[in-house]
Parts: sequence; C-alpha cells; structure tokens
Amino acid sequence: MGLIQREVEKAGIPTIGISIVRQYTEKVKPPRTIFLKWPFGHPLGEPHNVAQQRSVLKKALEALYAVDTPGTIVDIPWRWRRERYHG
Amino acid sequence: MSGRWKNRLIARIITRFPSLSRRVVEAYSPRESQDIPWVPVTKPLYACTLALVTTAGVHRRDQQPYDMNDRDGDPTFREIPVDTPPDEFMITHDYYDHTDADRDINIVFPLERIEEFASEGIIGGVARAHYAFMGHITGRHLFTLMQVSAPEVASRLKDQGADIVLLTPG
Repeated sequence: MGLIQREVEKAGIPTIGISIVRQYTEKVKPPRTIFLKWPFGHPLGEPHNVAQQRSVLKKALEALYAVDTPGTIVDIPWRWRRERYHG
Repeated sequence: MSGRWKNRLIARIITRFPSLSRRVVEAYSPRESQDIPWVPVTKPLYACTLALVTTAGVHRRDQQPYDMNDRDGDPTFREIPVDTPPDEFMITHDYYDHTDADRDINIVFPLERIEEFASEGIIGGVARAHYAFMGHITGRHLFTLMQVSAPEVASRLKDQGADIVLLTPG
C-alpha cells in the first residue's frame, strides 16, 4: 500500500495512509501514515460500527493536515473494542 | 486450487492469533526506501475532493477477480466508479481473512463513510472513481506495480481532480 501511496504523492497529490503493520510502513516510508495496532483486514475497525469507522477516518484526515515531517507515522492508541467511539 | 485453500486457511489463522501475524510480518520484509515524496496540503479539507485507493483486493462483481494462482500476486488495478451499489462489491484476496470485510466493505474501503463526510460538509466531495489493488504483490510483479499500474492510477486521480487521497490496506 505504501508503495502506491508514494507514487500518488509523487504525481502531486497529498496522501494519507492507514497502516496496521508498522514495520512495513517504517521501511516503505510513505509520506504520512496513521498506525492502528488492529487485526489484518480491519483498518477501519469492525463491520457496521459506523462510529468507529468515522473516528478512524477523522484521525486520518486530521493527520493529513497536522503532519509536517515527511515519513511521519502517527500512532493511534485505540484498543479495538475497548474504546468509546463518538464518530 | 489446493494452494489457494492453504493460503486462505493460513490467512484465517493468522488473523485470529496476532502473535502469529507478527511472525508472518517478520518473514516478509519490503525493501527500504530512502527519499520520501512530499507535497504540502494547500486546500482546506471542506473544499477537497477525496479519492480512495485500497489494496484490500476489492472489485466489482462484473470485474475480473485478481489472479490468486500467481505466487507473486496480481499487479493490476480495478477502477471503481463512485456510484457502485454496496452489494456490487466483492473481495478476491486469499492472504488475509476478509470475512468481516465481506459483511461490511467499509472496514477496508470506506466509500459510504466518505460520502457521509461529503454530505455533512466535512470534505468538499468524493471523486468520481476510486482504485483498488490486491496487496501481497512481490517478485517480478513489483516492477509492473511501480512502473505501470501505480503511475497510471496516480495520473487518473490527477485527471479527475482528486485533491487528497486516502489509502487503506487489507
């Protein structure tokens, strides 16, 4: 995913990625990433948990504007189901 | 087919047991990049057209599935028009357990969520088309991905006026 992200950014469009495997992101070095320590196949959380999905998206869009150092990975400390999501 | 069955079983097991998925991660190591591409975000979020790119193996039912018999993966992409109804999506990807994403595609490809954001004025709009790949592209197909498919997608995103792009994995 990070490799494609780098190509899109090279073409001149700002990008933000959601990562669930920090080691890959550290190596591939996309410009901006939020990282969630969540299971494979669930970058936005659980099926039909709209508030959780919206919360992740908002964090990603926030990071798109907040990150000013290329390659930054923003760690989101959310513990999967054990959080209250307001969306 | 037996190879596919095995890959799917492994995908289910590693998703269920996070300690095993860490081992899989350690076994596969992408090449380290040096430079980092960068363009600043200049438009305010409420004025931006957002496009999605996913590597979760998403495609429409009427599009050709990704090639699961090639060990190096499938470096091609699928263009997903924004008006695709949610029940027209499917996932072809044997290297992660997409049982949950099959129930709600938004956990890997959040098209409905970003449409809500657009109607609420959080973002300016949603791009006319979005792009999907399968992850797990290795070996000889990495070249095709980097030299052909990814630049083609980037250029289509530019052509349709995407201001910002969100990328999601499987």
